[in-house]
Amino acid sequence: MNPFTASARTVDPRVARLAVRGLGKRFGRVQALADVNIDFHAGEIHAVLGENGAGKSTLMHVLDGACRPDVGTITLDGVPLTLRSSRDAFAAGIGMVHQHFTLVGALTIAENLALGLPQTSRWRLDTAAVAAEAMALAEQIGLDIGSPTARVGELPVGVRQRVEILKALAGATRVLILDEPTAVLTPAEVGQLFARLRQLRNDDRAVIFITHKLREAKEIADRVTIMRRGRVIVTTAAECISEDEMAQRMVGELAPLAARPPVRSEVALRVLELSVYHDTMPRLDRVSFTVHAGEVFGIAGVDGNGQRELFEVLVGLRPPGAGTVSVAGHDLDKFTPAALVAAGVAHVPPDRQRQGLVLPMSVADNVLLSLALRQRFSRHGLLDVTAARRFASDLAQQYAVRFAGLDAPLRSLSGGNQQRIVVARALADQPVVLVAVNPTRGLDVAAARAIAGALNRVVEGGCAVVLISTDLDEVLELSDRLSVLVRGRLSASLSPPVDPQRLGLLMAGAA
Amino acid sequence: MRRLAAGILPSLLALLGAVFVSAVVIAISGHNPATAFGALLSGALGSMDSLSEVGVKTCPLLLTGLAVALSFQAGVWNIGVEGQLLMGALTMAALGRWGATLPAWLDLTADLMLAAALGAMWAGIAGQLKVRRNVNEVISTIMLNFVALFLIGYLVQGPLMEAGGRYPQTDAVLSELWMPRLAAHRVHAGLILAMLLAVAMHVLLYRTVAGYELRAAGFNAEAARLAGVDVQRRVLLSIMLSGALAGLAGAIEVSAVTHRLYERFSPGWGFTAIAVALLGRLSPVGVVGAAVFFGILDAGSNAMQRVAGVSAVLVSIVQATVILFLVALEHRRSTMPVAEAVPDVKTHASADPG
Repeated sequence: MNPFTASARTVDPRVARLAVRGLGKRFGRVQALADVNIDFHAGEIHAVLGENGAGKSTLMHVLDGACRPDVGTITLDGVPLTLRSSRDAFAAGIGMVHQHFTLVGALTIAENLALGLPQTSRWRLDTAAVAAEAMALAEQIGLDIGSPTARVGELPVGVRQRVEILKALAGATRVLILDEPTAVLTPAEVGQLFARLRQLRNDDRAVIFITHKLREAKEIADRVTIMRRGRVIVTTAAECISEDEMAQRMVGELAPLAARPPVRSEVALRVLELSVYHDTMPRLDRVSFTVHAGEVFGIAGVDGNGQRELFEVLVGLRPPGAGTVSVAGHDLDKFTPAALVAAGVAHVPPDRQRQGLVLPMSVADNVLLSLALRQRFSRHGLLDVTAARRFASDLAQQYAVRFAGLDAPLRSLSGGNQQRIVVARALADQPVVLVAVNPTRGLDVAAARAIAGALNRVVEGGCAVVLISTDLDEVLELSDRLSVLVRGRLSASLSPPVDPQRLGLLMAGAA
Repeated sequence: MRRLAAGILPSLLALLGAVFVSAVVIAISGHNPATAFGALLSGALGSMDSLSEVGVKTCPLLLTGLAVALSFQAGVWNIGVEGQLLMGALTMAALGRWGATLPAWLDLTADLMLAAALGAMWAGIAGQLKVRRNVNEVISTIMLNFVALFLIGYLVQGPLMEAGGRYPQTDAVLSELWMPRLAAHRVHAGLILAMLLAVAMHVLLYRTVAGYELRAAGFNAEAARLAGVDVQRRVLLSIMLSGALAGLAGAIEVSAVTHRLYERFSPGWGFTAIAVALLGRLSPVGVVGAAVFFGILDAGSNAMQRVAGVSAVLVSIVQATVILFLVALEHRRSTMPVAEAVPDVKTHASADPG
C-alpha cells in the first residue's frame, strides 16, 4: 500500500466543505437520485462509487450546476448554494473535470484556460497574461503541462487531462470533482494522476472522485460513498471497507434467474478469438464464446470495455480485426448489416433513438426499417404498402404499443413504446440470433417487463440471445449464463447461482 | 385529415407572413398593397393567355423544385440545381442544332434524356466527392454552379456562338425539336411532363424500397446504415436523380421557350427552387402547389409593375420572406420535442457579461 494513504487524514470536524442534504432528482419515471446525503470535507479525497445508472453522474451534474435537483440542498462551507449553470458552480468554487474533455482542440492551452476565466477586458483577450498565470498556478500545484502555447489537439491524453484539471482549479476552487478520470488514461498516467491528486488534497481542498473501479477507490480515497439506484448505500472511511465488501454493496442483492426450458444443443452463434483494434490498441482481445439455440448469454461489464466494438462486429458495422464469427454453423466472410441480417442475426441497438429508429418517420415506416421486413413486403423494389401497414398494425397490437396511429411520427411515442417497436421489429422475422444491448435500460417497469417477456418467448422458440448490458440487474434477470467484458477481454462464463462478490470483482477488473 | 392540416399549416403561415411583410414594404414605398396584389392576381389569372403564362413560369420551377426536394429528402443538400439546369440546357442547345435521321419526337426525346443524363453527371461529381472524399456537397455544388455558368459564358461567346456571330448566344434549335405547345398558347407539353414526373417521384419516395431507404437515410443515416441501407448508394441516387430533373428543366426551357442558350439564361430557377421545395414541404404534391404559386407570382409581377407601379422585384421579397418564415417555423418544430425528451440537456450558453 502507498505510504500516503496509510497515514491518517485529518478531517475538519466542524463543518463540511460541501454538504448535500436530501437531494432528489427524477427524470420521467426514473428516480435518478433519492434522498442523497453526503458530506465532503476539505483535505480529503472522497470516492463516489457505483454502477452505471447508480446516480453518480446525476449527482455530479447537480453539483456542477448542469442539472437542478427536484428537492434537497447543497451547502458550501455552511452557505446554501443555488446553482443554475456550470458558471455558477465555478464562481462558487466548484471545479469539474469531465470524463469527456471539454477542451477546444484547435486552441492552445492558454487559450483554453482563458475560456474558463473571467476576463479583465471584455474585448481584448490577453493570452500572454493568462499563460503566465496558468504557468504560475501549474508550478505551484506541481502540475506539469508543458508549454502553454501548445495546441491542445496535439497533446497526449494525460496532458490534456492535466490541462482540464488546471482549468478546473483556475478559479478559487474549493471543491474539485473528477468524473471517471482514469477511464481514458494508461496505467502509468493513472499513477501520475493519483500522485497529483494527493498533493491537491493537502491543499485545503475537497476532492471528489467518481469511479466504478473498486481498486482505484481503495487506493486513492480517504472516504468512500457507495451508491446504488440513486441512493447512498454507505459512506465510510476507505480503511474500514474491503474491496469485497465494496463490490457487494455496489451490486446489492441478486435476483434469482428466471426458470426457462433447457437450452438446446445446437450452437447458434460461435465467436472465436475475436479481436478489434483501434490503431494498435486492442478494444476486443481474443474474445471467444458460444451461444446455443434457446439460450440467453449475458455479457456484463461497464461501458467502454469493448461493448460497443462487440456489438458493431455482430451487426456488421465493422469487420473483425482478427477471429471468426459463425452463425448456425456457417462462418461469416462478409461483415455488413445486410450480410448479418441474411445470416439471421437481428439486433436491438444500444441507442434506440440514434441507431434504431427514424423519429420523424411514421410508426409504419419505422417497422419497415428492418431489412428482413423490407424484403418481405416488397417485390421488384416496389413496396406492398397495404400489407406492410397491416403487419405493422398487428405487430403494434401484439406488443401493446400505445400510439396515436400508424401515421403518427415515431417521435410522439414514449420511450417504452419506442423500444417496444424496436424489439418487436427485431423479433418479427424469427432471427437465429438476437444481439441486444441494454434492451430494458431507462424503461419504466411495465415496458421493461414486456420486453423481457418478449425475449423469453423467442428464446423458448429457439432464438439465441447475446445480451450485452451495463445494467447488472438486467443481465442477471435475463441470462442463462454470463461473462464479464473488461478492457476488451471476456471472463470465463458464470452460471447461476452467481456469486455477487465474484461478479463485482470481475466487473472492476480485479479478478 | 389532421395530418394533412398539420403538414400544410407551416406553409400557410409562412405565406401569410410573407404577404404581410410584402404589404408593409409596398405601403412604405408609397403604394397601395391591395391595388398591387389585385393587379398581380388579375395579371396572372385574368385570361387564358395569362394562365398559359403561369404554366410557362411554373414548368422550370416545378422541375427544379422537385429536384431540390428529392435531394433534401435524402439529407443531401444539393444547392447546385442551377448549374445542373444549365448543363441540361447546354446539352439541348448543342444537340438541337443538328437534325438526326430519327423522327422528330424520338430525336427530341433522345435530346431530353441526354440533357437529363448530363445534369445527373454534373450532380454526380458532387455526389462522388461526398461519398468518396467526404466533401461537403453544399460547397461542391455551389462551386459547380460557377463552373457551369462560366463554361456556358465561354461557349456562347466562342465555339457555340451563333453562325451570324452578332450576339453571344447559340443558334436556335431546329423547329422540329421545339416542345409542342398546348392549344394556341405559349404553355407547352413540358408542363405535363413535369406533372407526370411529380407523380413518378411520389411513387418513388412512398411506394418503392429505394425511395423508402432514401428517406430513412435522409432523416437518420446511422439508423439506416444499421438497418442494411447502403447509405452512400442512396446519397448518389438522390443527387443524380436530382441533377437529372434539373437538367431536364433546362433542356425543356431551351426546347419550348427560348430555343437558344445565352448567358443569364436562367433567372435563378435553381435557387428559387429551394424556396419552392421548402414551401412544398419537400413532398412532390406540395412542390406542385408551391411551384404553381411561385409561377403565379412570376407571371403576375409584370402586370403589378404596369398597373400599380410596384417594382416586379417585390416578388423576390415575397419569395425570400417565405423561406425565412418557413425555416423559422421548421426550427421551432424540430427542436421542441428534443428538449422534452432529454431532461438534463442544459446549455451553458448563458449570456454572462462578466
